[in-house]
Amino acid sequence: MALIYELTPAIVLLPLASFALALFFGQWLPKRGAVVGSLATAGTLGLSLATLGWLLTTGEPHNQTWYTLVDAEATFDLTFGILIDQLSAAMLVIVSLIAFLVHVFSLGYMNDEGEPGLSRYYAGLGLFTASMLAFVIADNLLMAFVFFELVGLCSYLLIGHWFTDEAPPSAAKKAFLVTRFGDYFFLVGVVGVLVTFGTANFAGSGGFPALAEEALAAGETFFGFGAETWFSVLGLLVLGGALGKSAQFPFHTWLPDAMEGPTPVSALIHAATMVAAGVYLVARMYGFYALLPTVLGIIAFVGGFTALFAATMAIVKDEIKQVLAYSTISQYGYMMLALGAGSYVAAFFHLTTHAVFKALLFLGAGSVIIAMHHNEDMWAMGGLKDEMRVTYLTFLAGSLALAGIFPFSGFWSKDEVLFETLIHALGGSPLLFGAYAMGLAAVFLTGFYTIRMVLLTFHGDPRSDTAEDPHGVRWNVKVPLAILGVLAVVAGAINLVPVEKLTGAHVAFLEGYLERDLGLLTHGAHYSELLHDYAGYQSAYVGSEVTTLLLGAGLSLGLALLGAGTAYGLYRGASPARHTEKLGGIRTLLMHNYYQDEYQVWLAEGATVRLSAAADTFDQGVIDGAVNAVSSVSLFAGSRLRRLQTGIVTNYAALLLLGLLALLVVFAILGGWL
Amino acid sequence: MVLETVPAEYYLVLSAAVFCAGLFGILTRRNALVFLMSVELLLNAANINLVVFSFYWGEITGQTFALFVVALAAAEVAVGIGIVLVLHRNFGDVDVTDATTMRW
Repeated sequence: MALIYELTPAIVLLPLASFALALFFGQWLPKRGAVVGSLATAGTLGLSLATLGWLLTTGEPHNQTWYTLVDAEATFDLTFGILIDQLSAAMLVIVSLIAFLVHVFSLGYMNDEGEPGLSRYYAGLGLFTASMLAFVIADNLLMAFVFFELVGLCSYLLIGHWFTDEAPPSAAKKAFLVTRFGDYFFLVGVVGVLVTFGTANFAGSGGFPALAEEALAAGETFFGFGAETWFSVLGLLVLGGALGKSAQFPFHTWLPDAMEGPTPVSALIHAATMVAAGVYLVARMYGFYALLPTVLGIIAFVGGFTALFAATMAIVKDEIKQVLAYSTISQYGYMMLALGAGSYVAAFFHLTTHAVFKALLFLGAGSVIIAMHHNEDMWAMGGLKDEMRVTYLTFLAGSLALAGIFPFSGFWSKDEVLFETLIHALGGSPLLFGAYAMGLAAVFLTGFYTIRMVLLTFHGDPRSDTAEDPHGVRWNVKVPLAILGVLAVVAGAINLVPVEKLTGAHVAFLEGYLERDLGLLTHGAHYSELLHDYAGYQSAYVGSEVTTLLLGAGLSLGLALLGAGTAYGLYRGASPARHTEKLGGIRTLLMHNYYQDEYQVWLAEGATVRLSAAADTFDQGVIDGAVNAVSSVSLFAGSRLRRLQTGIVTNYAALLLLGLLALLVVFAILGGWL
Repeated sequence: MVLETVPAEYYLVLSAAVFCAGLFGILTRRNALVFLMSVELLLNAANINLVVFSFYWGEITGQTFALFVVALAAAEVAVGIGIVLVLHRNFGDVDVTDATTMRW
């Protein structure tokens, strides 16, 4: 085994050690654990880069069971293990990079601002990073589930960091409960997969996707269902967890509330850990989903719908972090759309670029919030671009990437998502046109709300005293912003598919990397075969491939520019008007998030509580009534019988004697002596 | 030997008489000390039986057993006297019918 794979556990253990140190010795650590946390995540980043480099140069993956929890030969083993293939190696780098930068940024956002509970905060960050990394390298569904839950727990702890205020604990509880609701289905799915296949391993010919493929080809039946029906049920159950964590409709409601947590945590949650976990889970077991056209269709539609749905809410929000929150939901919708539309590479590409530019935007927003003395209302900002040069430029780069403007990273990935959806829709899956249309409409809205956010925050005249004289930020804020800003501009270069198709130069590096066969059956080319053979996804073009490409790219770029232009037209100038208020009733609807929160509260309080009250009445009245009736008979009989116990020894002796005599009489009669 | 000339039934009648005396004491007396003495009578009634049957059977085991019963009776008295003392301390009397506070 290569040395680098012997060090793989350290990738997880380093942040875990920083968690333990910050938790127990945080009071005595330099900067209350920030230094240790940064060093640990830097080490993790180094190891992740080395792992990626090793995989790139040697092409030798790693798939090994590490620890057996339950050894049951007759049924199935429950194990923990490590799987390093293209997907997990690349994801390790993303997660550890964002985690490292968030640790550094936290120095500026938390330490310099004198926030309370710093060691608790850094302990949370460490555990969060460690659980996400362990989730990424998980080699089976059970281990993935365990760390998926830990990620959820850490988000609960960090969102509720300022637990003395009123809103954060409530937001934390909401995030935990909503994602737990999805995870409940995930857990049932894990059990289902284990029972069906006897293994939950992701990779190799013994993994459950490969077994599922065999079962489908052989036309087996499970529990009276056809293989495809049964696998679809399993796929949808696991998908429940993914939709909950990735905040897809209808489980998206927790994410905007999660903005109550510290801003660096929002960056970590939205860019690389919690929310990415859902998409990563679907990508991880894509060999399974690629077999199931129905489930893929559902994923594509939920993704496309969420992309559009969240984007509409983002256009009216007044708080900078709220806009970003809805943009996150919308962008993860694109990733789900890509996965559902059979484009594994595009989904992971968008996950990568999104991780960079969304982390950048959140950290930029954090920088603005420091400057604004923790006022997040964009209507109180304005004119910050001259005061905060680094923040402005990097934030702008991130925004243009988010809006999908050429040549920023977001353009390349979003365009590839839409292009792949389009060609698969043309190739005989016409239902995908619906998802594609929703994705396209969301492009326009994304361009609009992103530019609106930038203009309101940084342009025009300052609209409050704090905006006129903002609080400065230090190197620990600027350096992470600068790194991410550069990456947000250039990250698209890892997969310039359109350029490759137009010029023939080999520049689609990510595609080549993900499609390479490492013998684990988790490479993109294998997924493409499965999609073609089982899901019936084929590619077709309008005219030639290049025409379709240019048409699709032109359409999405045109819509993005149109949205951006509209926002620019409306909100430029020294003092922009509140244009969204002209929307009237629609604005009210959007500000209230389509009353999704009210609807879910009604589900909990109106429906569930009433149902439980009825069950309680039945339990108290009928079930307990029967039990109480029986026991009251015993109680009454006991209260009479206990009078035999006089407490006087003589009486007992007399009773003993009488008993003996009675026995003697009985024996005498039975024995025939009388 | 004189013993052999006496029939076994006589011993049994004696034993039964002693036993009944003890039983009568237990059922009628309220003084804890008399109570203890009555228990001694019961035990010794049993002892007589043990010894007699052992003698007629020609086996030493029964007599050995009687010795055990004597030792046991001594132990029982030791414990019994202790209980009587505590009884007196708590109720100011050695009347067994007073101690009825732990019944229900």
